[in-house]
Amino acid sequence: MLQNEQEYIRILRSRLEGTMPHEELDDYLSDYREHFRIGKANGKTDGELWQSLGSPDNVAREIRVTHLVKKAEGNRSARNIFHAAFATLGLGLFNLVFVLVPFILLVVMLLMIFIVGVLFAIIGPVAFVFSLLQGGLPAFSSWISPLIGFFFCTGMTTFGLLMVIGDYYLARFFYHVGIQYLKWNISVITGTECSA
Amino acid sequence: MNIQFKKGVLEICVLSVLAHKDCYGYELVNDISKRIDIAEGTIYPLLRRLKDEGFVTTYLQESTEGPPRKYYQLTDSGRKEEHELKDEWMRFTTSVNALLVGKNDAAE
Repeated sequence: MLQNEQEYIRILRSRLEGTMPHEELDDYLSDYREHFRIGKANGKTDGELWQSLGSPDNVAREIRVTHLVKKAEGNRSARNIFHAAFATLGLGLFNLVFVLVPFILLVVMLLMIFIVGVLFAIIGPVAFVFSLLQGGLPAFSSWISPLIGFFFCTGMTTFGLLMVIGDYYLARFFYHVGIQYLKWNISVITGTECSA
Repeated sequence: MNIQFKKGVLEICVLSVLAHKDCYGYELVNDISKRIDIAEGTIYPLLRRLKDEGFVTTYLQESTEGPPRKYYQLTDSGRKEEHELKDEWMRFTTSVNALLVGKNDAAE
């Protein structure tokens, strides 16, 4: 990546766009442009100025926190304070706890339901074939007729398939809920209004 | 040095430099980073906050080379804030220094 003024300004703009009024953002960007302009007039290179300013990602975070804290002070609604608190806390820890952990739990749960469903669906016919060879379901010994065994196995297969289908709808549901949650999460972190 | 600590100190430094003279951003940043190692980019949001709090105003002034520059100037309340923070800082550092040197019996 080229460390020059244009790139620095571009990164700042992309990180801050939508988090604050346009005039405020333009004000900031013109400050950094002026900094680069005067620095270069004083014989510094783009790279040197970039280094001493610090990474644009960190600077953008600093600007966002400043903006959100001001917003929270000016308008003491709980929402704004939460925005400021979360932004200050930093994205890393927040997302690790509030996004990654529920996500993993959810995926494990859906996966387990799916596996159990598939197992039931497979065990049905296998058990039936087995019972025919043995002359009865092994678990119920030979006094159960093959017909009852057949119904029992069909029931198991159906139950397994229903579980898989139910799992699919459950996954779809959680997908939608998850998207909403992520939108909310992003809006909280970045301070933008949630469009959904 | 601890980043949070530096950030706290930075506000006094900015106000103090501006108490001596009006500065444009680059000049102010340069004066401070000559003495304190800090990510210079973080001074601009600080200046913005000081402006929002009414401690600092800005004006544009023509320069001999290039477009006009944005100058920062202390307001009356900024001057007052600078005095208070400086006093507080002096008292604080005196106490801390005394503790570090181990003269805490002097306070008894």
